[in-house]
Amino acid sequence: MKITGVRTTLYVHQLSRRMGDANSPSGRTKGTNCVVELETDEGLTGIGLGGGGVRPQIQGLVEGLLKGQDPRRGYGLWQRMVDKHFKGGHDGLINDAISVLDMALWDLKAKANGEPLWKTLGGSLTKALAYASGIESPLADQEVHDWYAQMATQYGFKGGKLKVGLDQDADLRRLGLMDQALRRATDKPMLLIDANEYWSPKQAIRKVREMEERFDLGWVEEPARRWDFLGLKRVSEGVRTAVCAGENLDTLGDFLPYFHHRCADVIQVSYGMTGITCALQLADAAFGYELPVTLGGSPGNIHAHLATVMPNFMCLEVVDPGPGDGVFNSDVKIVDGWAVPGERPGLGIELDREALARQAVDRVPPGAGPSPFGRRRGAGLYEVRPTAAEKAEAAKGVEA
Amino acid sequence: MKITGFRVESYVMQMDRPIGDANFPAGEDLMPSSLLWIETDEGISGLAPGGGDVERFFHLLEGQDPREVVGIWRRLVDFVHKGGVVAAGGPISSIDVALWDLKAKLAGEPLWQTFGALEGRVKAYASGIDYCLGEDELFAFYRRLAEKGVDGGKLKIGLDMAADLRRLGVMREALSVASPRPHLMIDINEYWSPKQAVRYLHEIEKHFDITWVEEPARRWDYQGLRQVSQQVKAAVATAENLRHIGEIYPLIHEQAVDILNISAGQTGFTGCRQIAHLAHAYELPVSMMNCQANYMAHLAAALPNHLSMEVVDPGREHCLRFSHHIEDGCIVLSEEPGLGVEVDEAKLKALQANPPKRQGNFPFPRREGAGLYVKGLEPGEVKWR
Repeated sequence: MKITGVRTTLYVHQLSRRMGDANSPSGRTKGTNCVVELETDEGLTGIGLGGGGVRPQIQGLVEGLLKGQDPRRGYGLWQRMVDKHFKGGHDGLINDAISVLDMALWDLKAKANGEPLWKTLGGSLTKALAYASGIESPLADQEVHDWYAQMATQYGFKGGKLKVGLDQDADLRRLGLMDQALRRATDKPMLLIDANEYWSPKQAIRKVREMEERFDLGWVEEPARRWDFLGLKRVSEGVRTAVCAGENLDTLGDFLPYFHHRCADVIQVSYGMTGITCALQLADAAFGYELPVTLGGSPGNIHAHLATVMPNFMCLEVVDPGPGDGVFNSDVKIVDGWAVPGERPGLGIELDREALARQAVDRVPPGAGPSPFGRRRGAGLYEVRPTAAEKAEAAKGVEA
Repeated sequence: MKITGFRVESYVMQMDRPIGDANFPAGEDLMPSSLLWIETDEGISGLAPGGGDVERFFHLLEGQDPREVVGIWRRLVDFVHKGGVVAAGGPISSIDVALWDLKAKLAGEPLWQTFGALEGRVKAYASGIDYCLGEDELFAFYRRLAEKGVDGGKLKIGLDMAADLRRLGVMREALSVASPRPHLMIDINEYWSPKQAVRYLHEIEKHFDITWVEEPARRWDYQGLRQVSQQVKAAVATAENLRHIGEIYPLIHEQAVDILNISAGQTGFTGCRQIAHLAHAYELPVSMMNCQANYMAHLAAALPNHLSMEVVDPGREHCLRFSHHIEDGCIVLSEEPGLGVEVDEAKLKALQANPPKRQGNFPFPRREGAGLYVKGLEPGEVKWR
């Protein structure tokens, strides 16, 4: 089997709710995604989702390196892609391209065997513990409660993650609401919080300590800058709650200080690290250090496939329990708070070609990227609470 | 596709030549051995060298889909939680290898491709396990592999400085047809204390550029190993006697190891790959251990941080069929599905029917004086003295 070419289609979709965090409390209403289709001479197509901003890099890697190669030899191809970008480093944009191509290669390898990816990876069809992640800063208190209540009753989620950071009193109040909502599914919800690097280490310690007086927290995510292993370690030593970090790191090497200084108690592997291949390497390394691994949100929750083979897997972030966004769907189901991958070959992604054509765009529109407003003023210094204008924008919901 | 049964066959391997190290320099050519088959309802079976008490684990395997090997690995390892995976790891390792063999056979591809490697090719180095060999035999062994492009060699040393230096020269000369500067490795098999190692190495490094020194201190002694690494130029290689990633962790964390010796004996290919990935996060190379028919090269071919694999080739494959070979300094694996190794049942039966008269000395005991003083070679202990 040989790779013959690649097609990329960028599209925009409406989010089911406004999403935002401490850095963008007014949130966004649209998302952008990219369908990357790796074609072969045997008619099989490998699908990757992502890399909307790096289509030229994707094209370059396929033309210059993947074309003519057997996609079942993906680990070696991954290494070649990484080595090709030795000098400039394979982080940043090129990492997005390698990541989505690696995903398409794994999809092809599993499809060539006629089996779901979890089986190709060697997993047993075990379920992955999941938690609901609202990315809900723009939502009003009642909406926060209602969303987590719906997640608890409809999907059985027993854990939730709240975006925090700008307003301690509001965060405490909303934590109570999330806790109360999740109690519909369990008498002991797993309460997680995420500061998205908005705090300094000492801010984090003060705020988390205060929260710990009232709540038993599962982890605090990104309570300091991604590279600040001293600060992260300091937070971990200063609070009872586990520190979870890593989602903004790109490569295995980026994690070396995390392991060596044990500054993160939970290792977070995000979608779009250097592909599935790197995520598996990272999980093995974390296992050596006895550190739990959590997987960040992924389209159609396809990370559930990987979870089945990670030796220290803890739980999976679910931003949207639905199987897709109208353009694609996967067969990962959320059942009783667990993510269960299905039996479709490969990653189990199916496309609605008409919807894809209808929603296709040439470039990522402003405000539809994952972090459209960048880092918020005051980060690491003092809290800049949502302004009246931001609150008014957030209150608009997702009405276009 | 379901696992339905297993079979373990034991035999004594009569090798074509003896092998020996600092702990047993006289050498031995008999090695107790076994083979494991895991059988399925579709008539295909998975093969692995080794075996042991597979029966203890079979209830975890029966009825399972062998393609779910990583999930099964987890169940096997969790099952021995209380007694520990290190003590019970032998059968787990063999079961895991047999399941990977099955997984690749079911995909109709060589195992290196199942692991995602671009090609079934792994850089090799020659390793005589050769304290028992005279200088002519040493030369012949390393020259034979050098003529196939192998540009590195590993010598067993530790008991006699003058002889070790002379024999290192013989190995270098033999390898010089493959490279003007062959990679020279030495292996002490934990016979020295760290400070003995430092003293001995300083002397050797006056005469030779040593790529790595293997097991210059006890397997668990991370402070001793680090001390050696800090005081000599050569890289410290170790870990062949460790069995689980949890045992590797202190070595890596304390910077006690520069190169990790890995093998499928570390709870199978699954466990071995975990260790390689941990090493990769720390930018440490790994080197695959020697084995029958070089079957472990399948995993080595796919590892991003694999340095070179040990080839001993003492003639251990009398009842095996395979077409892997050495070419251009590399182990070249075949395109046959799975491990690409089959058993000649008739030859196996013949070996079982006519076992050697004696038991042999494997595994080697530790030699007197280890870590304390060097007990030199006794008169007549090795045939070359």
